[in-house]
Amino acid sequence: MKEKLSAISLEAKNAVALCEDESQIENLRVKYLGKKGELTAILKQMGSLSPEERPKMGALVNEAKQELEALITEKKDELKAKAQEAKLKAETIDITMPAKEVKSGKLHPLNTVLDDMINIFQSMGFDVVDGPEVETDHYNFECLNVPADHPARDMQDTFYLAENLLLRTQTSAAQIRTMETRKPPIRVICPGRVFRADEVDATHSPVFHQIEGLVVDKGITMCDLKGVLEEFAHEIYGSDTKVKFRPSFFPFTEPSVEVDVTCSECGGKGCRVCKGSGWIEILGAGMVHPNVLKSCGIDPEEYSGFAFGIGLDRLTTTRYKISDIRLLFENDKRFLDQF
Amino acid sequence: MKISLNALKYYVDINVPVEELCDRMVMAGFEVESIEKQGDNLVNVVAARIMEIAPHENSDHLQICQMDTGADELVQIVTGAQNIKVGDLVPAALNDSYLPCGAHIVNGKLRGVPSNGMLCSGEELCLTEADYEGASVNGILILKETHPVGTDMREVLGLDDYIIDFKITANRPDCNCFLGVAKEIGVVLGTEFKAPKPEYKTVGGNINDYISVEVKNYDLCPRYIGRVVKNLRIKESPVWMQKAIIASGMRPINNIVDITNFVMLETGQPMHAFNYNDLADKKIIVRNARAGETITTLDGKDYNLTEDMLVIADGEKPSCLAGIMGGKESEIENDTKDLFLESAKFRRDNIRHTGRTLGIRTEASGRYERGIDIVNVEYAAERALQLIYELDAGDIIDGVIDCNQGLPEDRIITVTTDRIMELIGVDVPDETIVDILNRLGLPTTINGKEITCRVPSIRDDIEGRADLAEEVMRIYGYDHIVGTPMKGTVVRGKLLPERIKTDKIKKLLTGAGAYEIATYSFIASKAIDTLLLPEDDVRRQQIKIINPLGDEYSTMRTQLTTSMLTVLATNINKKISDGRFFEISKRFVPKSLPITEQPHELTTMSIGIYGKDEDFFTLKGLIEAVCKIFGAHTMYERSTEPYLHPGRQALIKANNKEIGVFGEVHPTVTASYGIEEKVYVAEIKLDILLGIEKRKTVYKPLPKFPAVERDFAMLVDADVPVGNIERAISSGAGRLLERIELFDVYQGAQIPEGKKSVAYSVWLRSADSTLSDKEIEDVNTKIIKKLESIGAELRK
Repeated sequence: MKEKLSAISLEAKNAVALCEDESQIENLRVKYLGKKGELTAILKQMGSLSPEERPKMGALVNEAKQELEALITEKKDELKAKAQEAKLKAETIDITMPAKEVKSGKLHPLNTVLDDMINIFQSMGFDVVDGPEVETDHYNFECLNVPADHPARDMQDTFYLAENLLLRTQTSAAQIRTMETRKPPIRVICPGRVFRADEVDATHSPVFHQIEGLVVDKGITMCDLKGVLEEFAHEIYGSDTKVKFRPSFFPFTEPSVEVDVTCSECGGKGCRVCKGSGWIEILGAGMVHPNVLKSCGIDPEEYSGFAFGIGLDRLTTTRYKISDIRLLFENDKRFLDQF
Repeated sequence: MKISLNALKYYVDINVPVEELCDRMVMAGFEVESIEKQGDNLVNVVAARIMEIAPHENSDHLQICQMDTGADELVQIVTGAQNIKVGDLVPAALNDSYLPCGAHIVNGKLRGVPSNGMLCSGEELCLTEADYEGASVNGILILKETHPVGTDMREVLGLDDYIIDFKITANRPDCNCFLGVAKEIGVVLGTEFKAPKPEYKTVGGNINDYISVEVKNYDLCPRYIGRVVKNLRIKESPVWMQKAIIASGMRPINNIVDITNFVMLETGQPMHAFNYNDLADKKIIVRNARAGETITTLDGKDYNLTEDMLVIADGEKPSCLAGIMGGKESEIENDTKDLFLESAKFRRDNIRHTGRTLGIRTEASGRYERGIDIVNVEYAAERALQLIYELDAGDIIDGVIDCNQGLPEDRIITVTTDRIMELIGVDVPDETIVDILNRLGLPTTINGKEITCRVPSIRDDIEGRADLAEEVMRIYGYDHIVGTPMKGTVVRGKLLPERIKTDKIKKLLTGAGAYEIATYSFIASKAIDTLLLPEDDVRRQQIKIINPLGDEYSTMRTQLTTSMLTVLATNINKKISDGRFFEISKRFVPKSLPITEQPHELTTMSIGIYGKDEDFFTLKGLIEAVCKIFGAHTMYERSTEPYLHPGRQALIKANNKEIGVFGEVHPTVTASYGIEEKVYVAEIKLDILLGIEKRKTVYKPLPKFPAVERDFAMLVDADVPVGNIERAISSGAGRLLERIELFDVYQGAQIPEGKKSVAYSVWLRSADSTLSDKEIEDVNTKIIKKLESIGAELRK
């Protein structure tokens, strides 16, 4: 009987080892361990043994059963793992197939740049305000120290809607409205759309955008102006950008300057973008003209301030190296998607 | 203003290279538009000697020349000119040469004979007699033996000058002339500036015996100086004067005209010379034109004058359009005997107005518009007489007529140096401040900290300390300004609520796949017609631009839809298969027409979509998402916009306020934009939507008890909107209703004609208990009752 047990055990072990799938092993389990299985059959034959031998034999058979059961379980796990591995392998996909598109649009590049600017100035404590696009002659010119016969009116060709009403040629008009409604200290920027009768071409558009900045307080100096503009230039063009003032003329500021920054393309060495000068003109600025302060009821003897006007379209085209300003208004989706 | 560098050197020492001069002038406020080196357009042309001339066998006028160009071998050049002989020194344009006229000369063949260049005439080199004697000869320019063979023609012609184009800012009309710029150069370089001192001799006589001058309108003509010159000797002006005039973009005529032009360029003061003998009654009357008067100007054009225009008249009629252009009749011609010379100041806005009205702009009127100095009027007249005397152009009659009502006093500014510099924030030594102002021609003294600055009328742009600060800094150098961080109380920059809200909308729409667009605020006058709006539609009440760039950009838009349709058409034309776009901008609604006050500028949003996955309901989804930002409850009603599909458009109500319309665009409208596919647009009055305040968010507990789902399938009349069914379900379910979902709408086979099958899933839930069978049954019954009340026939 003992011999028979070991023979069955051996045969079963070999059979398990040879199994290749789960159904085969299930069959083996039934064959050896099932109710009518061969090992179970040996237990049933134990009646023929002497009472002394019976427990010994019983223990041996149980041991053999447990051993076989463990073997079968192990084999089953092994086969399961193999099967899963094979399945996963079969499920391999081409990861270079196109993604399932998540549709997302973009802000217009002008507004992407504007948002950056707003963040910079807002963090320096500037409020962001708004003004009308249809302005009166009074706000667009008179209050900005440009009386009716002033030659500076020729600097900007103005669209008129009525004798006294025009499309604002500069966001500076918002300076006046701000100074009329707020008392110093004033620290605002006013982004907005402006209009000039420029024929449309690659660098001119009758509709463009400016960001006007205005600070009025006691003891404001040109050094403060430079400080703010340096902060702005470092954020927009990089922290090693230098800022240069060049004397200029605007009727509403005195002194007036054009502001240049080191060319971000060549770092100031001179290249095609900056026409070899190493500098790029980015904005006009100056100390608010005493006449302008006066016309807004602010005493120029007590307060001083500075103002600046940044051309958003120019800033956008230089940042993205857009060669033709008309692209900004054509709204081709493939263009808009790039920013 | 373009100025010859050589001309400037006459007034001021320039001891630096031209590039450095320009750089330093830029930093003093004089932007340089261009530096043009004379001869830059004359390349590879040399003085060459004709060694041999042979006839051309295929031509009776061409000649074949062998030229010594200074190179080892002779160069063969074919020419058509006949005025040449062996041994002549002539300008030869070699292979790959450029001429001032723009021609590029390369090797070629003339009637089969190789010609390796071109012999040049004076005209081909753009030369006049003033540039080189013999330049006007018809034929090849024969050179004098001043330079050896092979010398570059630029050297032969003495083209060593630079023409600098200074951009003069509007506050410095005094620098629209040689003297003004030269004076600034002197200050910038620290070199001596010398203005000519007019001296001349008269031939006696008395001007009052020759002419009388009457100024009728001193407001428009604050100063008028007249002089008489007899026995004119009209000829060419000297070469130096012609060169200066040409460099500044004018044309030499004769000595008298050139002197008036040169003095204008030199002093900034326009001058006019009248033919004395053409002046009726020997009178000059400065007056407004009379209604119906006309004038023929120097250029031969006729103008009708109006009473607001100032003229210089003789005893009978206008003889000159004051400050703008002289009359044909009193023009200086080669046989003119005597002249009356005018130097005057006219009011700039009047000149500007007249010039604009008549469409004339001249060197003179441009200067008057910018403003000229009343004191300088006299200096310029004196300078002109000096040149007439020195060039022996005529005999100057004694006496001057000077009509004015008094000249302005110099402006005195008294201020401390500290007050000047506190605008800048830079310490400039007091003595430097005083020195700079004095050098700029603003006599200044200092007493302690207080300076007294005397500002002559020519610098009437200087009004106070801010102007003095600028004068000091542009010379002292803006590079001394060191940036300082913002001072003052720490404040938080705030955004306007409208910007915060529109930013949210933009974030949502870009996240939903839409691209923001930017379009012009003005549109074509006819664009509104594409929307097929009735004549009395309020959107046709548009504001027109008085002076538009063209009809295409002539009208302020009252809606954004036409711009959106244009953008959709652009993209569709470019074969872009689909797109979602939006724009947030302003619509301009006049309070009355024609407008007399600022219009309403109302924030508006347009959305436009197209493509195979887009339809009415995707657009509806975008709109609802936008409204949800504001917590607004949306409702839709049928609308009747003519530009939308009559059956596929809706009025949008948010919290019961009409905020806009949307729908599929009418095929007639898309056709007019060249669009052949379906496109969908919305136009939303953001001004109203942004006004809806979102209620403060308060947390609602998440459900603790299970929901029950019930399906309702029914037949209804085909024209019953599902919105009505939803309202019925919703009122039947009451407060237990959690969600309704439409899952099927069907018309066709097995459904009776005129009916449709509609099926809904309805979720019911109570916040405080599990619903009992009875509760569910009650609600079920109520819902069915409500549905039946709108004619629904429940399907079991």
